Amino acid sequence: MKQDILLCGVGGQGILSVAYVIDQAAMESGYFLKQPEVHGMSQRGGAVQAHVRVSDVPIASDLISQGEADLLLALEPLEALRYLRFLTPEPGRVFSDITPFANIPDYPDPVSVCEKLWRLPATLLVNGAHLAKKAGSPKAQNMVVLGAASGYLPYPSALLEKHIATLFARKSERLVNVNLNAFRMGRAAGDFCDLLIRSGVSGELAARLIPWLDFQPWPVPEPVAASWLSFFANPRAGEVINRLWSEGVAVALDEEVAGCLLAGKLPGTAAAGSVSSRTHPRFTAKPVINRQ
Amino acid sequence: MNRRILLGDEAVAKGALDAGISGAYAYPGTPSTEIFEYIRSTAAQESLPVHACWSTNEKVAYEQALGMSYAGRRALISFKHVGLNVAADPFISSTISGVHGGLVVVVADDPSMHSSQNEQDSRHYARFAQIICYEPADQQQAYWMTREAFDLSEQLGIPVMLRLVTRLAHSRSIVAVDDPRPQNEASFCPDPSQWTLLPSNARRGFERLLNNQPQYRSFSEKHPANQLLISGQGKPGVIASGIAKGYVQEVFKDRLTEFNLLYLGVYPLPLAKLRELIAASSEIWVFEDGYPLIEQQLTGDGLHDSVTVRGKCSGDLPASGELTPDLVRQAFGIQVRQGLVASGADEVLRSRPPVLCEGCPHADAYLAIREALDEFGEVRIMGDIGCYTLGFYKPYEGLHACICMGASIGMAAGISHAGLRPVLCVIGDSTFTHSGMTPLVDAARENTDMTVVILDNSIVAMTGGQPTMLAGESLSSLLEGLGVAKDHVRVIRPLPRNHEENVRVIKQEISYSGLSVIVARRECVTYYKEIKTAQRSREGGAQ
Repeated sequence: MKQDILLCGVGGQGILSVAYVIDQAAMESGYFLKQPEVHGMSQRGGAVQAHVRVSDVPIASDLISQGEADLLLALEPLEALRYLRFLTPEPGRVFSDITPFANIPDYPDPVSVCEKLWRLPATLLVNGAHLAKKAGSPKAQNMVVLGAASGYLPYPSALLEKHIATLFARKSERLVNVNLNAFRMGRAAGDFCDLLIRSGVSGELAARLIPWLDFQPWPVPEPVAASWLSFFANPRAGEVINRLWSEGVAVALDEEVAGCLLAGKLPGTAAAGSVSSRTHPRFTAKPVINRQ
Repeated sequence: MNRRILLGDEAVAKGALDAGISGAYAYPGTPSTEIFEYIRSTAAQESLPVHACWSTNEKVAYEQALGMSYAGRRALISFKHVGLNVAADPFISSTISGVHGGLVVVVADDPSMHSSQNEQDSRHYARFAQIICYEPADQQQAYWMTREAFDLSEQLGIPVMLRLVTRLAHSRSIVAVDDPRPQNEASFCPDPSQWTLLPSNARRGFERLLNNQPQYRSFSEKHPANQLLISGQGKPGVIASGIAKGYVQEVFKDRLTEFNLLYLGVYPLPLAKLRELIAASSEIWVFEDGYPLIEQQLTGDGLHDSVTVRGKCSGDLPASGELTPDLVRQAFGIQVRQGLVASGADEVLRSRPPVLCEGCPHADAYLAIREALDEFGEVRIMGDIGCYTLGFYKPYEGLHACICMGASIGMAAGISHAGLRPVLCVIGDSTFTHSGMTPLVDAARENTDMTVVILDNSIVAMTGGQPTMLAGESLSSLLEGLGVAKDHVRVIRPLPRNHEENVRVIKQEISYSGLSVIVARRECVTYYKEIKTAQRSREGGAQ
């Protein structure tokens, strides 16, 4: 067994917490581990990454070589593009949040960034900002992405959840629950994406739909899944998904919704934040020198 | 043996704790900060009798540790590479005075300058000081070498260096740790004359250091971390020091026997092993993360070519920047794997440099400074080291120089002496106590025409929120005590709503032809909670 993961995002988004959970699970599973990370200046809103190398034999290099990572977990879509070259072309899997962290003045069009990602051979996109907020804290975006990727990690969910709980128990019981729920919503998204692809839905269409579904911290019920499979049988599916991207709303996961969408309605929706927003609420660029 | 996940920095810290240190001394700086942080938090959690308080600067840290060593106890010093420049004075001379309790100085170098102003290689300092230097290859070795370094320091009576690089300092792995050794009892060594470096004593101490060199060399020669593996006559030789060992092993995996290998982890260089390697090998490749220190010694700085040496000087590896497994591949002409490519990614990719946080007090201070300077034509603002160095970037463009800790005030004085006025400089509260006070004494004595802005956010923010030495009222009193005229010590609160008033104050002080100090005081937004907790505990302590 060997698994190399590249984690990336923006300083302050919580990459080190994701790394902590995977590290602990790896040690408890009896694997060898090397995990370099970034401290210092870049933690002030710069591009940051961590490498997680896990193996059942000793690992020589702390660093992952270019083209050798199995998974890329990105807490921000532009950062996913930046570190893509580390992924194996075989193909490596990308798990990325779609929420732009626009703390630079020339941030590109966020949808065009996501588009580059969903065209890759194996991508899962999640709406971390929406799901984390629903779980109780926008800061839990990182756990949504970890949850989404967790089906591809060689550890049972219960083990990952145990270490999420340990990590946040230092802060509060509430944060433990918030982060566990964020993780479980991400897991529901990941499992649902796999189900769609196993059932013959194209990876690209599945990746484009997932960010706009209102996942719960439990698996998508079978009848709901079935209704979405018939949705994808309709040639208008792609067009409807485009509409979800432009409206920026998450649709509820119940049996009726897929059908309603095809009929041109947006039922039972929740505002999920438009990805076309150019500024991040927590981190706007400063105005030029004179405030007046 | 107990296993745990530790950063390279933390493995060093745990090694020092388990070696029985009684004190840890440091000034924060990436990538070394987590060494001291681990010791401080572990000592607090486990109620260990280990003195662990941040020092004002690296020189002070070194001197405090030296004192503890003179008193027979073990002490650890840790800082980043440029910190050793600050501490170089006591460092070099302590190799002549010798030590009593084990004294280990851990220096974390930053190849590629991830968070630094240069990429100097501390192994040169160890060579210059003529002491033994460890360079661990991984986290486990970092733990054992630190423990061993204390025993060695005590046994040889000299300080011992342990050199880390960013990639090891900031990488986690599983480390097995052993039972701790008890701390030393405090005791003075019998002959205090060796500590008093009057020329007559210093000559004796230096002679002792020189006479001991063969002993240090023979220690390095026999050390298992300096491992020579000859596979066959005429094969290429590879020297890999410290973390480079893992990179060479990663690249060649089961093909390692195609080479004669020398792994290095202890300096001075083991000459007999090097001779044996050279005699057996067709050419010598050198992989070291940092300056080409081994490579230059092999070629006598390029003076002789009796052996073909390939590395940085030969152009087979980049002359600067950190070593990576991919660079080892490229040096041998092995194709680096092409990673996944998203078509059109280059069109949308943008660089994302670090920035001041939303709501940062420094941002408001810079906006006020820039507006106040508008009417004065071309002004160069001398800057310093901290988060506020990010004010170099747009939209602030609030500083035009940053050299080393505390340099801003002295440089501003020089510009004023040269007559290019008005002169302004910015320095953080912690950088000011680190090494900004002494140049301010000069400026106060001469009443140098310049305006010093102390950006007081009441914390050491860039390195992760360590407590500052002096902030608030005590900083103002200090300024007056240093000789700055009371009328020209001004305090402003950098907030958008105070902008116009702040601009007015700055303009007034710039117009004054003499020394002014403006303290722009507002708590860091990122570490606000930590600052308030520290303030409460200080107030509690005073009652």
